[in-house]
Amino acid sequence: MRKKQYTLMKVVFLGPAVLSYLTVFLYPTLRTTVMSFFKVDSITDAVSTWSFAGIENYRSLFASTLFLRSMENIARIWLYGGLLVFAFALLFAVILTSGVRFKSFFRAVIYLPNVISAVALGTMWMQYVYSSRYGLLKEFFQSFGLRGLAQIQWTTPEHIFGALLVAYCFGMVGYFMLIFMAGIEKIPADFYEVATIEGAGKAAQFRLITLPLMKGVVRTSIVLWTISTVVFFIWSMVFSPLSPEPGTVTPMVYMYQMVFGANMVVIGRNVGAGASVGVLLSLMVLVIFLISNRLIRDDGFEY
Amino acid sequence: MRNSGVPRSSRAMRGNLIPGYVAVGAWCLFTFVVIGWIILASFSTTRDIFAGNLFRSGFHPENYMKAIVNNNVGIYFLNSLIYTFAACFGIVLVSAPAAYVLARFPSKTNALIQNAFVAALGIPAIMIIMPLFVVITALDWTNSRSLLIVLYIAINVPFTVFFLTTFYRNIPTSFEEAAAIDGCGPMKTFWVIILPLAQQGVITVTIFNFITVWNEYFMALIFANKTALRPVAVGLYSMIQSMRYTGDWAGMFAAVVIVFLPTFVLYLFLSEKIISGVTNGAIKG
Repeated sequence: MRKKQYTLMKVVFLGPAVLSYLTVFLYPTLRTTVMSFFKVDSITDAVSTWSFAGIENYRSLFASTLFLRSMENIARIWLYGGLLVFAFALLFAVILTSGVRFKSFFRAVIYLPNVISAVALGTMWMQYVYSSRYGLLKEFFQSFGLRGLAQIQWTTPEHIFGALLVAYCFGMVGYFMLIFMAGIEKIPADFYEVATIEGAGKAAQFRLITLPLMKGVVRTSIVLWTISTVVFFIWSMVFSPLSPEPGTVTPMVYMYQMVFGANMVVIGRNVGAGASVGVLLSLMVLVIFLISNRLIRDDGFEY
Repeated sequence: MRNSGVPRSSRAMRGNLIPGYVAVGAWCLFTFVVIGWIILASFSTTRDIFAGNLFRSGFHPENYMKAIVNNNVGIYFLNSLIYTFAACFGIVLVSAPAAYVLARFPSKTNALIQNAFVAALGIPAIMIIMPLFVVITALDWTNSRSLLIVLYIAINVPFTVFFLTTFYRNIPTSFEEAAAIDGCGPMKTFWVIILPLAQQGVITVTIFNFITVWNEYFMALIFANKTALRPVAVGLYSMIQSMRYTGDWAGMFAAVVIVFLPTFVLYLFLSEKIISGVTNGAIKG
């Protein structure tokens, strides 16, 4: 009797969650992967109208300059953005765990952008910070007499990628700062005290104690960063609302325009290729995950 | 070099922290200036904004009324409220029991399910959007609020389950054992005893889900792009598009404020909780 009750509970309790997983994650992922190997004209075409195309979809993607540019952009966002965000996040994490006053306040303000909608944030940057008429940067530089800097048009094609990158990174630092702070705070203070007694300077302490013990945290952060950069979409849409432009296009934007979009910039409505984009991006996440697990071995050091 | 690895209790090192203060201070100042200006600008007029003198013609709260009524921001806000509350409730309803079973009854199947959920966190939305679109169109379920709510629930279950599983592990099993001795069935034990004990975790994860659903954009863009159904994020985006033609910058800023205000206020009151939730969740991850 008891055993049956427990089994019933397990089924009833797990059922909805597992069901939702199968319908919303497993089935679509599998189907998208399969679709990526077929030529499909319209998204609602019956499966019987699909024609097998092997890796043709992938090849056509790599033949498109706009797509290649989008991959290039995402790689640059991942690399340069990642370095920027991790550097600032680590810097702030270290500062805030060094005994500054008002730690909670600073921490709260730095994380704040992470709870604000990306559309709102992007608009704030586009329409205020970068505005060439009344923008923050313009006013700031002008008040210091730096006319040349004040006159830079941040949203022209030549600058827009950089502008996008900076704006995006600003909003991401808070989250990673929290993660790094948690990692640092787990390190017992005795380690540093002993090191100071032994005569190690602060820089050496950072290099020999903090960094090595943060390996696991950094590895997780790399994967988290990859997951969030790969789906870079909203910021691009806010910075280039009319149609995808080389300066801001990302694979997800490209795919969206190809499958759901109405404009003519992305030529050739081949939904199968859209699926290929998804597969490629998922592969990127997987590869980064595997590589970072290989390269950054967690020593499993207990403390 | 920076003040890295300094023993936290060392007062003698305080002086060296000035550059640190400057760095975080400047960053925070920037945040304040941007958000502050936007809020001020939302009470100004387009002309004053461009002239660089925000309050030359006084204070204009009517921008908000205009945004809410003329530009449908009121509808978007209501939609977001509906989606967020309904989804958050549904997410907990589905995830809390599931996480309980996964936490308390280790087994090969459960381990597999747990790993599957964690893997779901890394699956980009693009991978799932197209087949979903096909199925939903076939069922003629497009453009309905219930669809988006169901989607939001399903999308957020993996994270919530993951979060709650670790949380349940901290609840001692003595409660369940006592309840069993008293003859209370396992399902009832969960709803009546365990769930109230897990309040803190449920509340924290619900706050996260609230923020996530409120700020969601992609699914809504694809499945709820009709004016009557749009949530604030998509609504703001379409409003910015139309602003090119109407030229109502002040109104747009009012809309921006309306969009971020709820999560901002939530954060004002609950920042510590939210931050500790992120920190704990990340370490487990």
